[in-house]
Amino acid sequence: MVARVVDLRSDTVTKPNEAMRSAMAVADVDDDVLGFDPTAQKLEMEVASIMHKDAALFVPSGTMANLISVMVHCEVRGSEVILGDNSHIHVYENGGISTIGGIHAKTLPNNVDGTMDIEKIVKAIRGTDGELYYPTTRLICLENTHANCGGRCLSVEYIDKVGAVAKEYGIKLHIDGARIFNASVALGVPVHRLVQEADSVSVCLSKGLGAPVGSVIVGSKDFITKAKRLRKTLGGGMRQVGVLCAAAYV
Amino acid sequence: MMMTRFTRWVGFVNRNKIVESSKNETSFRRKTYQVKMVARVVDLRSDTVTKPNEAMRSAMAVADVDDDVLGFDPTAQKLEMEVASIMHKDAALFVPSGTMANLISVMVHCEVRGSEVILGDNSHIHVYENGGISTIGGIHAKTLPNNVDGTMDIEKIVKAIRGTDGELYYPTTRLICLENTHANCGGRCLSVEYIDKVGAVAKEYGIKLHIDGARIFNASVALGVPVHRLVQEADSVSVCLSKGLGAPVGSVIVGSKDFITKAKRLRKTLGGGMRQVGVLCAAAYVALRDNVPKLSDDHRRAKMLAEGLQKVEHFSVDLSSVESNMVFFNIKQTSKISPDRLCEVLQERGVLAMPASSTSVRLVLHYQISDSDIQFSLTSIKGAVEQILTDGTKNGAIVQNMLSVAQTVAV
Repeated sequence: MVARVVDLRSDTVTKPNEAMRSAMAVADVDDDVLGFDPTAQKLEMEVASIMHKDAALFVPSGTMANLISVMVHCEVRGSEVILGDNSHIHVYENGGISTIGGIHAKTLPNNVDGTMDIEKIVKAIRGTDGELYYPTTRLICLENTHANCGGRCLSVEYIDKVGAVAKEYGIKLHIDGARIFNASVALGVPVHRLVQEADSVSVCLSKGLGAPVGSVIVGSKDFITKAKRLRKTLGGGMRQVGVLCAAAYV
Repeated sequence: MMMTRFTRWVGFVNRNKIVESSKNETSFRRKTYQVKMVARVVDLRSDTVTKPNEAMRSAMAVADVDDDVLGFDPTAQKLEMEVASIMHKDAALFVPSGTMANLISVMVHCEVRGSEVILGDNSHIHVYENGGISTIGGIHAKTLPNNVDGTMDIEKIVKAIRGTDGELYYPTTRLICLENTHANCGGRCLSVEYIDKVGAVAKEYGIKLHIDGARIFNASVALGVPVHRLVQEADSVSVCLSKGLGAPVGSVIVGSKDFITKAKRLRKTLGGGMRQVGVLCAAAYVALRDNVPKLSDDHRRAKMLAEGLQKVEHFSVDLSSVESNMVFFNIKQTSKISPDRLCEVLQERGVLAMPASSTSVRLVLHYQISDSDIQFSLTSIKGAVEQILTDGTKNGAIVQNMLSVAQTVAV
């Protein structure tokens, strides 16, 4: 029996504070599947606005946020995604992008600072010319901050470079931004500037920001429309979810 | 009888502002309407619209929580143990939705590639879950016709089982799914005798039985059979807390310890692993504790509503089919009154309903609908019918007038 316990296992252990509990208790809710929950909508519009993206979607977890993002960008069978061999998506998400999503993973070594070498990324892109034996690369994933590399921040210059490569080859860029606000604060760069080149971003509200549950995906209107249907398919369509969104908004 | 949702009706009523009545047609399937300020709105679209009550909100505010992924959330665990105990199963798992509950259950039972599942052609899993068991789970669906009472013929089930002898061309049937109460068949209850029979067939052929028990408590209350007895033969059951029981979010899967262990990992994979989820489980626990006895009132109100509707000469209602909290009624002459038009006019009169097919409308009761709401709804429905017929007659008269004018001119 210790008088005191300091839980440093993860920033996911944050419990909802008084302000969040009050907000949850009075949240204006409605059926977010039949129509839309007003508190969920308010949160989604706020996150989209902060990120300078067109639309957003609240989901139960970061895993689902990444899974949906990868699956929507790679909705055509025979897709491949480039990501770091030490990235959260590759290591800690049950291989869902493959076992559930049917997408082939092409991993590249993560450097100690969380980046992947740009030349290696370019070399890894394949199938875009219709070669017979290759899957088609449709997506590159970055992670900022990079957890397994020690919470390292990817610089805005690096992200812009990767974004330029993606555009050159006609492929998409998704940023696993579970801790993107940590990166923004550490680098002193506004979060929307950090994710400017990304087609989609997943942002966790349940980690350092302290909400009890949830992540938000941001992207274009078309992307989020598809994401919404896939969220329903995976079983993430919750009803009076404003209860959770109220805490996330706080 | 095959019922398909002809139009998925979405209505949102803004109770705090007075706005112009306008139609904003964004797409064929989803229409958003803003209505003139009505003093009262009775939402009969579904029992999913139930909002958390005071007891739930208090419970949520003080819930003891922890990281349910790194370890376990104490409130989630309390809820899961309670549901498992009520169902007489070994273990349980809280998930964000009924869709995920069914998807996980089917995928765990059919974890070997090349599996086939037998289910009703009018079942929720087959019709309203995006085909996820196939598109996400890779499982082949073998559908059999649902009878009007929600059952599938036992002989047809037996005939449909295949691949268990290793034939070269067949997938292997690993699972049968039943749905109780059966939504698309009108909230009909499957009897304990029927479920036991299907369970016996499953055991004989070495396959599993899953019950989509989104509204299993409604079945239990309507039949007067304890819920654990109803699901005794099932290897797994999915139970919704967010429908008639009124919790804001969530379903629970029950099954054996091994099954739930696998389900937990699959839940994480699909992205349903939530952190301090006790917030939601606290409300679900209140729902389970307080709201099961209220279901019988919903059933009584459904019968009241059905009897009232039967008196409207333009509708036909099969009273014997109203067994739980749902009422489906048919419109006799849809050329004069279409389900879409009726629901449209009803919305203006403060009642939200859903067209169920090109000839019928569905109404669902829940504990936040009162007896007086039923009377209000019947009055609004009758008024709506009159309004549509009068408009129709007016329009008919106008057309007649135009025709006769045209004839005169032509001559």
